[in-house]
Amino acid sequence: MVKVMVYPPTSMILADLVERTGHEALVVSKEVRKKVNTPGLDSPPLNMTPEDPKKGLKYAAVDVPSGVRGRMSLLGPMIEEADAAIIIRNDNCTLGCTGCARTNELTRFLLKTKRIPILELDYPEDEFQAKRFVHKIHEFLEGLN
Amino acid sequence: MIRIAQISCGSEYSGVQGELQKAAEMVGAELIFPEVSLEDVRNVEERFGIEVASGDLNLAMARATRIVENPDLADAVFVATCFRCAEGAIVRSEIRKYIHENSRIPVLSYSFTERTTAETLLTRMEALVTTAKFKGLLARERQTGLTAGIDSGSTTTKSVVMRDNEVIGTGWVPTTEVIKSAEAAYNAALESAGVKKEEIQGLGTTGYGRHLVGKHFEAKLIQEEITVNSKGAVFLADAQKGTATVIDIGGMDNKAISVQDGIPGTFTMGGICAGASGRFLELTARRLGVDITELGKLAMKGDYQQVPMNSYCIVFGTQSLVNSLSAGSKPEDVAMAACHSVAEQVFEQQLQEVEVKEPVIMVGGTALIEGLPRAMEQLLGLKVMVPDYAQYIGCVGASLLVSGLVED
Amino acid sequence: MKSTKYVVTSQDSDVLPSDIALKIYELGREINVKETCFGVIIDGEEEDIDATVEEIRAMDESNIFIKDRGFPPGDPRRCRGHRGGGARPGFYMMQHESEILPLISRGLASEAMGEEASPEIETRKRPSLVELEKMIKEEFS
Repeated sequence: MVKVMVYPPTSMILADLVERTGHEALVVSKEVRKKVNTPGLDSPPLNMTPEDPKKGLKYAAVDVPSGVRGRMSLLGPMIEEADAAIIIRNDNCTLGCTGCARTNELTRFLLKTKRIPILELDYPEDEFQAKRFVHKIHEFLEGLN
Repeated sequence: MIRIAQISCGSEYSGVQGELQKAAEMVGAELIFPEVSLEDVRNVEERFGIEVASGDLNLAMARATRIVENPDLADAVFVATCFRCAEGAIVRSEIRKYIHENSRIPVLSYSFTERTTAETLLTRMEALVTTAKFKGLLARERQTGLTAGIDSGSTTTKSVVMRDNEVIGTGWVPTTEVIKSAEAAYNAALESAGVKKEEIQGLGTTGYGRHLVGKHFEAKLIQEEITVNSKGAVFLADAQKGTATVIDIGGMDNKAISVQDGIPGTFTMGGICAGASGRFLELTARRLGVDITELGKLAMKGDYQQVPMNSYCIVFGTQSLVNSLSAGSKPEDVAMAACHSVAEQVFEQQLQEVEVKEPVIMVGGTALIEGLPRAMEQLLGLKVMVPDYAQYIGCVGASLLVSGLVED
Repeated sequence: MKSTKYVVTSQDSDVLPSDIALKIYELGREINVKETCFGVIIDGEEEDIDATVEEIRAMDESNIFIKDRGFPPGDPRRCRGHRGGGARPGFYMMQHESEILPLISRGLASEAMGEEASPEIETRKRPSLVELEKMIKEEFS
């Protein structure tokens, strides 16, 4: 089993396809779950505190906006954990954890420079593209075994 | 309950959403998030005029259009993005303009870091709530009866007594111990007006020490400086109808307020460093060996272009000051350069966050340092008005507003 | 450890959220089920959830999709009723991806049958200078 980070890290389609083949999908909701279940923390809605953007300093300097660093404190550990990644290029509906374009650029950059197997593709727009989309992902994931 | 629509990007991930929530609760308001559909977000360019790379900013713009189309959804709007985000700053500014131009809902614009606390936001939120809640009181244009105001500022404490729409007494002392200073200023105002404390029908307090002073004197009105100063400024400048811009460079922070019919529309409050405040001018006067009341006149004889000065930070500003004097610069040029530097920072940091519409009214004690409004005129390319009693603006505003409560 | 997952059905599926809920009740595990417009949210101990997920997927292999959720169902910190309205950000992404689920479902079905995916067609080609010149002449002659 390989840990595959999906981008957007909120993608249900990618997470589902990864887990169908028995691999583990690294998705941001699992990081959010850790946050919201931390006992003693009371900073709704996400239980993120000013400490989180400080943790994000590991990935981006202090002159990078706090929202980028805060998001990176969630996404950075996932990138570190990833053994492989699938990246959607035409990610034109990203909100919340993926709502900041600068964070998303940094995430993709860090994944690409990690020297792990990466598959890049677009969301399909028709049935032919969809078949290729599923096939390519399947082939990529099988190849990781 | 006043409903403040939060239109923002990054607050949850900066760990400050809880602080925003807390600040809203402290002023008796609730934050709401306008409902928008995925289609609204996708069509944001068509509806708002631009689509950007960050999804949360597109969502923010979609929410702004929803508010403009359904103004009953919210009583006020708080627009906020991360400090140092260029994309966020552009969108924040456009949303602010859009709401200001297309609705009568007051807007507060703010950029936060992870260090933003509820306390920092409190005065701003209070002003936003007051503007939304007391439109009737703020519409008051005449002072009636015998009322007084105390402005407990960070540097000076001021007081006025007003009777039938006229200022009849003033008092001014440097702030030391808050209550003692307030007592001294108030007594001075009463004495110069020739009235007794017992005769005063209503007292209003404002400024940093407003709560402490207000409680001590059992004031009828305890109000933050933004609404009070707007009111005082348009009253003294006789600009109660139509647009106006109020600039108040204080001892510790600065305010820029875009006013419509005497009511704040958009406003900003802040100051990166003491270098952009009255403190820097005080320091300059001391270094030049002149009284602060003489600094302005000296500056009017000088040329700021003769002295390189950047008071973005008070430490660097002081260095520029010392260097230029030791290099033989003329005191009048140094005085004007200091005024220009402070004005430039307010221009760059605050006036970009509000709609600058004429008349531009400068208030507060610093407005009396003639070089400062002159420097602001040069930067804005507009005439800047300094009304009589400009240094008593907060007291006049408080005295005027409290007379509305006395009548009630 | 607790785990929460979305079970989303593609529009092409004949399985209804109520069918999934019924199936989970039949399994008799200690799992909370909440029906939504997309499918269901299930919440329980991680091992129960993981085992259940496989059985739900088997109801309609190509048309049922599963995704982790950070918050337990109805959490007041995320529930719009408790936080001044507005959908949570994840809702939009879910809606966005749901629109293409039927395409993915067909892709999965085709993959399961071992069908060959058609080769990629180069749709966009930059015209050569000669071709461009010809186009301009045709247009403006």
